[in-house]
Amino acid sequence: MMRIVNLPKAAVAGGAGALAWEAAIRPALLTGVPFYDIVRELGTLAFPDGPWIAWWLTGLAAHVLGGIGWALFYANFFWARLDIKPAFQGLIFAALPAVLAIFLVTPQLQLMHLADGIVELDWGILLEPLTATAIAGLLAGHMLFGLVMGALYVRPAGYPVENERRNPPRYAARRATSANGRRTQSAGFMFATGIECSYPTIENGSWRRDQMKGTWHYDRWQQDFALAREIGITHIRYGPPLHLVLGGPGQYDWSLVDEPMAELEEFGPEPIIDLCHFGLPSWLGNFQNPDIPGPMSEFAGAFAQRYPWVRFYTPINEMFVCARLSTLEGLWNEQMRDAGAYVTAVVNMASATVAMEEAILRHRPDAIFIHAESSEFFQPCCPDPKIEEIARLENERRFLPLDLLFAHPVSDFMRDHIRQHGVDDKVYDRFMARQVPRRSILGVDYYEWNERLIDRDGEPRVLGELFGWYVIAQQYWQRYQRTMMHTETNRMDAEDAPRWLWRQWHNAQLLIRDGVPLVGFTWYSLNDQIDWHIGMKEALGTVYPVGLVDMNRDPRQVGLAYKHLIDMYRDVPQYRECEALREMLR
Amino acid sequence: MASFLNAHGINAGPIQRPVLTGLISGLLGTIPASLLLHLFGTLEVEARILGISTLATLAAGAVIMAAAGAVYAWLFGRAANNPHSGWLFGIVFGFALWAAGSAMVLPLAGGGLAPGGVPSIGLFLSFLVWGLATGLLVPHFHRPLSDALAKGATLNQVGPAAAADSWVPRRNRA
Repeated sequence: MMRIVNLPKAAVAGGAGALAWEAAIRPALLTGVPFYDIVRELGTLAFPDGPWIAWWLTGLAAHVLGGIGWALFYANFFWARLDIKPAFQGLIFAALPAVLAIFLVTPQLQLMHLADGIVELDWGILLEPLTATAIAGLLAGHMLFGLVMGALYVRPAGYPVENERRNPPRYAARRATSANGRRTQSAGFMFATGIECSYPTIENGSWRRDQMKGTWHYDRWQQDFALAREIGITHIRYGPPLHLVLGGPGQYDWSLVDEPMAELEEFGPEPIIDLCHFGLPSWLGNFQNPDIPGPMSEFAGAFAQRYPWVRFYTPINEMFVCARLSTLEGLWNEQMRDAGAYVTAVVNMASATVAMEEAILRHRPDAIFIHAESSEFFQPCCPDPKIEEIARLENERRFLPLDLLFAHPVSDFMRDHIRQHGVDDKVYDRFMARQVPRRSILGVDYYEWNERLIDRDGEPRVLGELFGWYVIAQQYWQRYQRTMMHTETNRMDAEDAPRWLWRQWHNAQLLIRDGVPLVGFTWYSLNDQIDWHIGMKEALGTVYPVGLVDMNRDPRQVGLAYKHLIDMYRDVPQYRECEALREMLR
Repeated sequence: MASFLNAHGINAGPIQRPVLTGLISGLLGTIPASLLLHLFGTLEVEARILGISTLATLAAGAVIMAAAGAVYAWLFGRAANNPHSGWLFGIVFGFALWAAGSAMVLPLAGGGLAPGGVPSIGLFLSFLVWGLATGLLVPHFHRPLSDALAKGATLNQVGPAAAADSWVPRRNRA
């Protein structure tokens, strides 16, 4: 599958296109313009001698049905292929039904109107109705259909933020099932995956991207957990939808997540709870809001109190990516392009994380925090001081969130940078002075776009796997000296994904052999994702085929490969009992 | 095109059996389609055009449409397994078959003769109904016909050898 399709929206768009055609063409036909009357041709198949109202209503219904069919076809196969306005996409698409109408449907309708059961094909019979005016009418009708349909079929994925309180997505009710396995709490190496759960806003905060809705997780969550267990997954990164659960200060709709949490508690996999994944509830605004630590820490504390069996937490996922895409690339949430806004967002998120950790520890003193962060590296393309300066800034900026979190002093260069952007020395000193919880794990994500070249124009270009995860992860290890976990990877090319998986795994093994305490490995995610090839900046609904299973919940090759890998390693002594994790659990 | 679709995850993978699934679904799809052909008198007209008995026409149609079902499931891969949209893909495929079959193949096979009038309406509708039925059936049949995940995970092609760069053949052989 290459698209998720909003069926009601497509049906309305196609029907409206067909009605617009009729509304525009009928007056011309009534005044005697000899356009091709497709509604009459269709209607008189059923009522050849009936009153006009009979054939008109029947023909119109058939035409609307045809319009809906074409709109569904458009939505599945054509939508968002061209980077132009939707109405013009529809217009271009309409060339296809127009050509078929002229060369296939019209002649076939002519055949259908004949009295004989068997006819000898003759171009004269077939092309009889197609005068120049008739063709012009068909083309004009199709153009109008395409424009209207294209203009109406937009944003098939996500929903308006204003609707999320009135009519929020709900999880399907939990079904009684003979689930495959029980949750275990071992100190074994974590073979993990995740349910992709991003929920940033786009379009200036008015449109919510919700990956769990887009990937049908809300409907199929129970099957998702069962599939994870079948693959052999021991831990699952799971983010309840913060924007739906946290309805206001101190207002929590736990009914949304009680059943999935109960299923995970009983059967597993063991969850690593992701409390904030790239978005905030609309009432909290965005990451420029300095007041987010309060409500977020209350939420984290309430969560830990309600689900006291949860051991692993990621308070805020990938702060660097969230801040970068929200404040430097202008894609999500506050949608800014401002270096100062990046610093503000990072400080706010780091403050919130610290507060959330403290709140969780009050209820679960032995909680383990896995701070998943994207591992990045920027390579200057050439010995140009300006380019080298940009690369240096980027390479320092990537560490800023973790530096604040792990109380690691930033360089003088970065210290000046954040000071220039309003970070008071007192704020910085507070981060540096804090006692980082002992059970804190550095999660390091890696994708093929994480290594980038700063090109001559100062813009970053994706390098692919130049140095590899081993080298980049080593930079993070050297800097923080914290127990680590490989917390995300995937590959967009589904055919190549098994190769990528095994190579990532070999990188992880090499790191372990070098003595780095690595407690887990993650293929992210269990399901395919939606629109990640464009960073979710538009609601296109394109399926990003990176899952261990596809949208139908059928295993992909990488799902088979991951099971192969887990089956091969889980009983090897050093993985069955992971020394680094045991130390963390102590 | 094929590699583009594969890169986007359409390939059914090693544990699914799209051809067998499509074959069975396509064959079953001929049941409602044949009923429609009979109701519109198309079956008899086709038999007369082809110069064979109605039963032989029906049998030939069933074989051809079963094969068409196999092509459908192979071509659409994982998309054909989608219970939300499979019916639509089936109709699209049925429409394409009608367009190619009724406009090109049938007149050629019948020496320029083709169904007209009501039988031609039946022909058109039967292809749509066959596509709808096949598209609806594939998502239900494919899973029981697939190998188990556990068995698929033992295949060599998803094992450690997958890490090798297949596009560096000389080095791999060495």
